[in-house]
Amino acid sequence: MTACNLKKLVLGIVGVATLTLSVAQSAEAKDWAPDAPVSFVLHTKPGGGVDVFSRTLAKELEPIIGQSIVVVNAPGGGGATQMAKLRVAKPDGLTLGVNTVTHLTGMKTNLRGTFSPEDFEWIALAQIDPIMFFVAKDSKLNSITDLVELAKANGGEVNIAGFGPVGSMQNIGMAMLEKAAGVKFNWVAHQSTPDIIAAVLGGHMDVGVSNLGPTLSFFEAGRLKGLGVLGDKRLASLPDMQTFGEQGYNVDTSWLQIRGVFGPKGMPMELQQQIADAIHKAMASDSYQTYARAAGVQDSDYGPKEYSAFIKQMSSVAEEQLKAAGIIE
Amino acid sequence: MLESLAIGFSAFGDPMVWIALVFGALAGYLIGAIPGLGPSLGVALLIPFTYGMDPVVSIVGLVALYAAAEYGGAITAILINSPGTAAAVATSWDGYPLTKQGRTGEALTVSILSSGAGIFISTLFLILTAVPLSEFALRFGPGEYFALALVGLSLVAGLSEGSPLKGTVAMGIGLALATVGLDVQTGVPRFSMGNPEFYEGLPLVPVLLGLYALSEVLFMIEEGPSEKLKSTPIGGLLALPVKTILSLKKVILRSSVLGYAIGVIPGAGASIASFVSYAVSKRASKTPEKFGKGSLEGVASSEAANNSAVAGALAPLLALGIPGSPTTAIMVGALMVQGIQPGPLLFARSPEIPYTVFASLWVGVPVMVLVGLAGAKVWAHVANIPRPAVAAIVAGICFVGAYASHTTMFPVHVMTVFGVLGYVLRKLKFPLAPIVLALVLGEMMETSFRRALISNKGEWDIFYTSPMTVILILIAVLALVWPGVSLVRARRAKARSI
Repeated sequence: MTACNLKKLVLGIVGVATLTLSVAQSAEAKDWAPDAPVSFVLHTKPGGGVDVFSRTLAKELEPIIGQSIVVVNAPGGGGATQMAKLRVAKPDGLTLGVNTVTHLTGMKTNLRGTFSPEDFEWIALAQIDPIMFFVAKDSKLNSITDLVELAKANGGEVNIAGFGPVGSMQNIGMAMLEKAAGVKFNWVAHQSTPDIIAAVLGGHMDVGVSNLGPTLSFFEAGRLKGLGVLGDKRLASLPDMQTFGEQGYNVDTSWLQIRGVFGPKGMPMELQQQIADAIHKAMASDSYQTYARAAGVQDSDYGPKEYSAFIKQMSSVAEEQLKAAGIIE
Repeated sequence: MLESLAIGFSAFGDPMVWIALVFGALAGYLIGAIPGLGPSLGVALLIPFTYGMDPVVSIVGLVALYAAAEYGGAITAILINSPGTAAAVATSWDGYPLTKQGRTGEALTVSILSSGAGIFISTLFLILTAVPLSEFALRFGPGEYFALALVGLSLVAGLSEGSPLKGTVAMGIGLALATVGLDVQTGVPRFSMGNPEFYEGLPLVPVLLGLYALSEVLFMIEEGPSEKLKSTPIGGLLALPVKTILSLKKVILRSSVLGYAIGVIPGAGASIASFVSYAVSKRASKTPEKFGKGSLEGVASSEAANNSAVAGALAPLLALGIPGSPTTAIMVGALMVQGIQPGPLLFARSPEIPYTVFASLWVGVPVMVLVGLAGAKVWAHVANIPRPAVAAIVAGICFVGAYASHTTMFPVHVMTVFGVLGYVLRKLKFPLAPIVLALVLGEMMETSFRRALISNKGEWDIFYTSPMTVILILIAVLALVWPGVSLVRARRAKARSI
């Protein structure tokens, strides 16, 4: 599947309307009915975006499957602790994990040779969350074009504060823009999104990178301005901010932050489909929808087939970008 | 302001809010008292229970738990020399010597009263200054953060007992240990020995448990069963002479203000607050020689400060949506689950949340103090348990606490290695505090130092062009030089008097 087709696919399937459709179709198949409590193993500490997503989803999923769901936080090793737990679990659907793009970039860098996408089953994609570039209200930058001009004038001395080290999901997003615009920026790694927001508000960094959710209230308070979003279309909550593409910078818009569910290798396809259907059904609930809209994320209804293909595509984009950036051989 | 506060207090017309407050205070007290479970883990454990609750009820429960857990770390610091949190390390310096003198009850009573007073005073500051101070804290850029970490390190260097050389070596060990893990800027694994478990750095709680508690167990085993410590039983709830408490009022007030101010700066946190305030109290004290040997002032300054830092950490969270500590970062999640987005609009959109937090901090003080005083009477008997039994119990707590912090065996191995290391270092008369503090501050110091240089084209002027950075670096230099100066002075005075 080429990137271009995939883009169309994402465009076509994202949205709440399709969700309800898929739920309607799946009612004919047998529903997922585990015979014991299910564990959701996370790679992050409690309280972050992944944790809130998992707990909100679990709450809605419990009545659907008739079992309680235990959220297990297993931080450490950039996902290694969690993936180790998952890899040795029985493929019976009682132990599942939540993954992000970090898992994929990790498998290409630090955890190369330790874990690979083939070690797991990729069951369902739940959220996609484009990244965007933003500045403080009083910044003289108003668009990606301004940013590129500034970088050209300063020989790359524009500080971009983003999450994670060189080779992280957001850093690769920045590298894509560098390539498309033919400029260099200065990546300054941060360890949490609130740190990034604080650094931009305090005038210590020129530009910040983030997903929409954590920055939304700062936009509403008029303290931040958006420069551009790396995605196919504009964000519903910030309709004035143009995409990179609209401003003439063509980057691979399938490079999105994702939150999905994966499990140990060897789970039967039928079981995977049942789990995916149950997850998407839970996502259609009012309380999940309220949370997801407030968090500024977009829903996805990818089941095991589409999600596995999507992961393959993402991995190859990551590989390509990491090579281009000289991070891996 | 007063009207909004009235809204905050009116929340307490609901019995559910009272239940949440008392439950939060009790749970926090116990969670803090168990080494390995700290405030952030406690808040995380409580979050799933808050789903079905009203947002106001859940935030009251979480704040009460946070404050009480930040206090609970002092209990084990005083009783068995194992601070449950990094913020309680300074408490153990005087708290444990007091226990050895049979004054457990006194130490615990002072610690809970200072904590309560600290929360009360800092909440007043929080109500008055949350928004302007949080805005001011935004001015802290990478250069300022580096300088702040430097202040923390230099203060503790001046605090460590014994030879300055050994203190410096200990700090070097701590800084070296702080570099373990993935490089924050480049993602390269450092000193991980090919094991991904090390990627996120050394887990702090197991290191603390090993260095302090397990090494203490090894000492107990070495000494064998000895004379039991007779702890002086304490009488009624307010058995401490009122005079003693009143004599500490200056220390408590100063430490509360310091703790709050440091707590407001995102990332600085309760541990820096308690160390800085301990150092300042020692300098200001009429009897600095008592510090480290069982000074009630030492216990009071550490405890008042680390609890005031709770209110401090809540300031940027409520005013800007930027969490000031790991625990408040988890609270963001709890609020988001409730559909409340912490951010610069929180006061305008959901004023009931911040004002209920203010009210619950105040209402929670007497609840927490009563729980603490009642607990102090119970804990005081621990000193009467025969030493072999204490050693066995503490060893058990170490292993369970380390395991509980991550639910894997890795932290248990880390704890064991550091237990042996702690024993060896203490045998060789190396101070442990500089190691712990360097480990806590090392990462902040390194990342901000590099961020400052990376964001400034590699030019060093970022460290001397900002007035705040310059002032902080000067304080750090003074703190390093001062002990030497006063030592020379004392010697000269001695020479003259002979």
